Amino acid sequence: MRRTRFLGLLWTFLLSEIQAAADPAEERYDRTEGQTLTVGCPFNIMKYSNSQKAWQKLPAGGEPLTLVVTKQSSGKPSQVQVGRYMLTDDPTEAMLHVQMADLRVEDSGLYRCVIYYPLKNPDILYHPVRLVVTKDSLHTPAPDVITTKNLVEVSTHTTTKDMSIYTRYKTVTQPLRKSTAVTSSPDPRVTFTNVTSVTRVPMFSIVVPVVCGLLSKTLIFLVLFAITERSFR
Amino acid sequence: VLLTWALLALLGLGTCCGPMVPRSEWKAKASKCSTGLQQPIRYVVISHTAGSTCDTPASCQQQARNVQHYHMNTLDWCDVGYNFLIGEDGLVYEGRGWNIKGAHTGPTWNPISIGITFMGNYMDRVPPQRALRAALSLLECGVAQGFLRSNYEIKGHRDVQQTLSPGDQLYEIIQGWPHYR
Repeated sequence: MRRTRFLGLLWTFLLSEIQAAADPAEERYDRTEGQTLTVGCPFNIMKYSNSQKAWQKLPAGGEPLTLVVTKQSSGKPSQVQVGRYMLTDDPTEAMLHVQMADLRVEDSGLYRCVIYYPLKNPDILYHPVRLVVTKDSLHTPAPDVITTKNLVEVSTHTTTKDMSIYTRYKTVTQPLRKSTAVTSSPDPRVTFTNVTSVTRVPMFSIVVPVVCGLLSKTLIFLVLFAITERSFR
Repeated sequence: VLLTWALLALLGLGTCCGPMVPRSEWKAKASKCSTGLQQPIRYVVISHTAGSTCDTPASCQQQARNVQHYHMNTLDWCDVGYNFLIGEDGLVYEGRGWNIKGAHTGPTWNPISIGITFMGNYMDRVPPQRALRAALSLLECGVAQGFLRSNYEIKGHRDVQQTLSPGDQLYEIIQGWPHYR
C-alpha cells in the first residue's frame, strides 16, 4: 500500500514534468495589432506534394476551424487568399507559407497547419502556433526607471513602426497620438540607470523561471511524500 | 533517488563537445561566403555526397578537399556547400560551420537549416557506427552551444527535395533518430 502511494506520487511528479516538456511543442508568436504573422510549415515532399493543405484555428474546447485551404494541386506551387489569411504552397521546396495580415487581439489563440482531407481527419503538420496579439507595443512591461535616451529610442522606434503600419492599413490613429505625446514631452521624473542592465534582462528572465519551476516541483513532491509517510506511522 | 534524478537533470545541460577537423587541418581553400545564419537553427538536413567514401583521416581530408574543389571550381560556389561533412573515419569535418548559410538543399531550406553530409553513397550500404556517432555528437554539441534549438528537427534530404540523398540505407537509420520528424 505504501509502495503504491509512493509510486503514485512519483508518477504524478514525472507526468507533470513531461507535461511541462510537452508544452514547448507549441511555438509562441507575439505580435501587436496591425502586424502580420508569417509561419513556415514544412511537409514531407514525397508524401504531401500533391495534397491539399489548410490553416486551422483550434478554439479552446471546440472543433478545429478551417480558415483557408489550398486548391487541388498537381504538385505545382499555388497561392490562395481568404480575407486576411494567405496560404502559399511550394511543393518543390516542401514548404507551406502561412500569412495572417492586419492582426487583431481576437486573433490570439492556437493554430495549426494540416494536410487537408475532405472526408477524413487531417494529418497534423508540426508544430502548433500559439499566437498572442496585444493592443499596443508601449504596454509591454518596462523597467521602473529608464534613461531618457532609452525612452526616446523606444518611442521613435515605435512611432516609425506604427507609421509604416498605419499608412499601409489605414486604421485607428489613437495609438499613434499616444506615442507622439511621449516623444514630444519627456517625463521630467525619469532618472538615469545603466543601459547595459536592460539588455541583460532577457537571458535572466528565462533561467530564473526554469530553475524556480524545477525547485518548486521538487519541494511539492517532497512535502507530499513526507505527509503520506507520516500518515502511515 | 530524488537527488540522483536532480543531478542527472543538471548534468544534461553541460555536454562536452567532441573533436572536429578544422578547415586548416584538411587544408581547405578560404571561404568566400558571407551570408550568415540566424541562430538558433531549427532544422538539420542530412544528405550524402553520393561520391567516393573514405575511412582514414588522410583519405577523408583528401575527399573533403575534392568536394570543396567541385563546389567552388565546377559549381562556382563561395565554398563547400555543406555546413559539416562526416567521414567513415568517424570524424567531423568543418565545412561552412554553424554560422554561415550553406548551399546544400535549396533556397527555402538553406537559410533555415544546417546541412550535414556523409561522405559516400549510402543507397546500398550503411555508414559505420563511428560515423553515425560523430554526427549525433555534433548535433548534441550544436544544442549545448546554442547553435541549434533544443527542439531541433532532423530531415532527410529526400524529405524536402526531389532526390535519393541520403541514400536508402542511411535514410532508414536517421528515421530512427530522436529528433527526426
